[in-house]
Amino acid sequence: MRIRWNRLLAATLLALVGVLAFAGPAQASGESVGACMAHLLEHEAHGELDEHLLHDEAVQEELEKCFEAPNPIIPEVNEIVWGGAAFLILFVLMVKKGFPAVKGAMDARAERIRSDLDAADQARADAQALQADYEARLADAKSEAARLIDEARGAADELKVDLAARAEADIAEMRTRAAADIESQKAQAIADLRAEVAGIALGAAERVVQSALDAEVQGRLIDAYIDEVASSDG
Amino acid sequence: MADPTVAGYAEALFAVAAAEGNPAAVEDELFQFAQALRSNDELRSTLADQGVPASRRQQVVEDLLDEKASATTSALVSMVVGAGRAAELPAIVDAMVQLGAASRNKAVATVRSAVDLTVEQRDRLVAAINTRTGREVEVKVVIDPSVLGGVVTEIGDDIIDGSVRRRLNQLRESFR
Repeated sequence: MRIRWNRLLAATLLALVGVLAFAGPAQASGESVGACMAHLLEHEAHGELDEHLLHDEAVQEELEKCFEAPNPIIPEVNEIVWGGAAFLILFVLMVKKGFPAVKGAMDARAERIRSDLDAADQARADAQALQADYEARLADAKSEAARLIDEARGAADELKVDLAARAEADIAEMRTRAAADIESQKAQAIADLRAEVAGIALGAAERVVQSALDAEVQGRLIDAYIDEVASSDG
Repeated sequence: MADPTVAGYAEALFAVAAAEGNPAAVEDELFQFAQALRSNDELRSTLADQGVPASRRQQVVEDLLDEKASATTSALVSMVVGAGRAAELPAIVDAMVQLGAASRNKAVATVRSAVDLTVEQRDRLVAAINTRTGREVEVKVVIDPSVLGGVVTEIGDDIIDGSVRRRLNQLRESFR
């Protein structure tokens, strides 16, 4: 930055020296050169102009001076006046109109930038709040998910225990029932066997009795029956 | 005697037997025929078969009772069978026997035995039952081989079972 300023200053000084050293022929208006020449001739002739005067070397040198360029630094008075007036007008216009407009534009721009910054800050705050909200929700969701997982795990454990208990109860009941069935079948088999044996024995006994019940025995049985009826009083 | 048809036929048979003058003999013959009908399914179904003409069924009755029962008994059985009441004949005869006994102020004792009782045994049994029940009874003996031995007496709803079959059944129950 410092090097740049030095270069700028050097260029400005070089331009000023160039202007002062290489001043060109006057570009003044014809009126200024003419006025210079008229004033010189009038001064030299004292009111009487002849052709010898023009050939005089001194006059010629003076005339050539009228063609020399004016001072590049110090302007003509009229230029200073016009330039000053223009500067003043422009300055006033700038002060009255341009500066407020520029200031207003700058203020508006600054305000817009400020509002943009505020909006950005607000947006950032909103985003942060939203992020915080999302993070809170995420945390809630995570905690809810963890709670649900815990509940599901607990329910699964309870179900597992319940099923195991139920299975054990069913097994015990089935064992009890099977034992009861076995006992029942065993008792039924014993009863059937006993009934079958009894039937066989009774069949054999009936055949023996039938073979033994001849007329004499029948008569004795009837007599015994009659005696039994007669002996009982009802 | 809940069935009025059975009661009506019983009264008719009893009246005819009484009118013929030998009701006790007719009762005995009808009772024996009714017991035979109870124990013989083929005979009962034949006499009760409405598809067989009544004259044919009556002819069967007459063939069975010819010279084995009185003409009155044969005529009464033939009448009942011809009327299509052969299936109800045992119940009709039972009701008639009850009517006859009641007319003589007696109760009916149905005695089932594997063999027939002698006259002396019948008299002793009647006396024993009279003593036991306190009323006069008439004994109707039914030969039932299923009794095996001994006697089973039924007087109304009372049963006096002294049969070998009962003792075998008691023995069977004791095995259980």
